[in-house]
Amino acid sequence: MRFFDCNCSFGESARPPFRYARTPAELLEEMDFCGIDRALACHAGMRFSSPVIWNEKCSDGCAASSRLEPAWAILPAQTGEQPPIDEFLAAMKAHNIRALWAFPDEHRYPLNRLAFGELLEALVAHRIPLFVKQNLVAIGELLKECPNLTVVAANQGPHSIERYLRPVMDAFPRVYIDTSSYIVQGTLEECCERYGPERLLFGTAFPNNCSGGALLQLARAAISDPAKAAIASVNLERLLGEVKL
Amino acid sequence: MIGNPSLIARDYMKYGQSATCPIIDMHGHFGPFYGGYLPAAPLEAMLAALERAGVLRIVVSAHEALFSDPVSGNAQVQEAIDMQPGHFLGYWLVNPNHRKLVTTAPADFERARGFIGFKFLPDYHTVPVTDPRYAPVLEYANDRRLPILIHTWGGSGFDSPQIIEETAEQYPNATLIMGHSGFGDWENAARVAAEYPNVYLELTAVYVAHDWSMLPTGSGTPVPFLPCLQVNGIIEYLVERAGSKKILYGTDMPWYSPHFAAGAVLFARIDDEARHDILHRNAERLLESLTHASK
Repeated sequence: MRFFDCNCSFGESARPPFRYARTPAELLEEMDFCGIDRALACHAGMRFSSPVIWNEKCSDGCAASSRLEPAWAILPAQTGEQPPIDEFLAAMKAHNIRALWAFPDEHRYPLNRLAFGELLEALVAHRIPLFVKQNLVAIGELLKECPNLTVVAANQGPHSIERYLRPVMDAFPRVYIDTSSYIVQGTLEECCERYGPERLLFGTAFPNNCSGGALLQLARAAISDPAKAAIASVNLERLLGEVKL
Repeated sequence: MIGNPSLIARDYMKYGQSATCPIIDMHGHFGPFYGGYLPAAPLEAMLAALERAGVLRIVVSAHEALFSDPVSGNAQVQEAIDMQPGHFLGYWLVNPNHRKLVTTAPADFERARGFIGFKFLPDYHTVPVTDPRYAPVLEYANDRRLPILIHTWGGSGFDSPQIIEETAEQYPNATLIMGHSGFGDWENAARVAAEYPNVYLELTAVYVAHDWSMLPTGSGTPVPFLPCLQVNGIIEYLVERAGSKKILYGTDMPWYSPHFAAGAVLFARIDDEARHDILHRNAERLLESLTHASK
C-alpha cells in the first residue's frame, strides 16, 4: 500500500515539539522511517509566522524532492498581504500549488464569503481543495455559503467529533476528513461504511502528532484493502488531479 | 518500504499484533459517554477492537462511575469483569464528592472481584488529590501497595505533576499512575516519575495534539484544560528522562484506537526493549506484584 500524507510540515516554530523536521530532508527521513511515499507538505512558518513569507519558501523547500508537494496558506485579500486573486492563482500555477490551507483561528480572520468571496469562487471553479483547521460548526457555516467548495476538515483533534461531523458530511458531499487525529476507535470504519472510503484522506499531522499512530491505525483498520488504498493515497491523488489551473 | 528496523513494528503493520509483544492497556473505560459518540462503547465492539490489536488485558473504569453514579458505574465494571475474567480488570472509581462512598470504598473494593486498585478523576470532580477527602483511599492503597490511576494534566490545580509529587511523598507505597502523563507539563511529569519509585507515567492521549479551539465548547471540563499543539517526540523524551520501565501503555478505550496508540510507540525513536517495557512488560510486572500481594 502506498501512503500519501495529506497533512505534515517541516520548519521551525517558536515552541517546537521535542522531535520535528527542521528541513525537507528531515521530513523525508521521517517518511522513510514510516514507509510514507509522498507528502503534501506545509512549512511551519505558514501557520506560526506568515504565509506572506513562508508560502514561497515552502515551495522552495519542497523542490528538493519529487516526493514532496507544497501547499500554501491563504489570507483575506482586503489587507493586501496576499496579491489580488488573478495574481495569486497565477503564482499558484507557476509553483504548481494544487492545495491550500486556512488557519482562521491562528491567523484571526473569518473564513466566509465576506472575507474570501472571490477566492472561494475561484477555488470552486478550479476545484482546488481547501484544508481547513477550524471547528466543524464553523466549517458547516462556510459550506452553507459555499456548498460546492472542496473542504478537508483537518486536525480536528482526538475527541469524538461525530455529532458535529456527520451533519456536515451528510449535507455537503465535497467535505473530506484527514485521519491524523480521527482516532476514536471505530469512527474511521463507520465513516467508511456511511460515506464510502472516498471521504477520508490519510494524514499524520507530523510533527503535531506522532506519524506512526495514523499509519498503523489505517494499515490495520477493519475495512477492505481497496478502501485502505483509497484512503492511503488514491483519494488525495484524485483530488489533486481534479485541480485545473 | 518501512525504514523502521523494529521487528515488532513490522509484525504490527503486517498482522495487527505481535506474538512476542502483546499489549496490556492500563487505562481503559467502559460504556457510553455523554459528551460524544463512541462506536466501541458496546462491550462486543470493544472486545473486537482489543482482539484485533492483540490487547491481552485492559484495566477499566466505567464512564457511568466517572461522570454520573459511582455505585451503578462500578457495578457495570464488575459485570464486565465477570463476563470477561482475566481479560477485563477494574479500577474502583472514587469520587470524593460522594463522601460516604469514599469511606466505604476500601471495604467495597475488597468485596469486589477483579479490581486491582482505584481510579481518581480530580479535574472533573474538582477536588485536588491532596484534599483530605481522598485520604482514606490513599492510606488503604499505601498500606497494601495498590495502584491508583489518577487523571493528570499540566497546570491543573487538582492533579498536576507537582500535586502527584506531593502525594507520592506522603504515600510512598501506593503506586501512583499518572494518567495522560501530566499532559502538557512533560518536564515535571518525567521528573516526578524519575524521582519517585512509586510513580508511573501512562500514555493515553500523549500521542496526539490537543487544541481545544477545535471543539466549539472547548475542553468541556469544569476548569478549562491547557492545550498542547505539538506532541511528537514526547514518548522519546519520557523514555530518556524517566526510563522506559516507568511508562505504561493506555488508550482511554473505548476512546482511542489501540492501533493508533501502539503505532505511536512502535514508530517512536526508541529501541525494542523500551517498546516491550511500555506495551506489556511494565504492566505485567505491576499486575504480577498485585497477584503476589493478594496471595
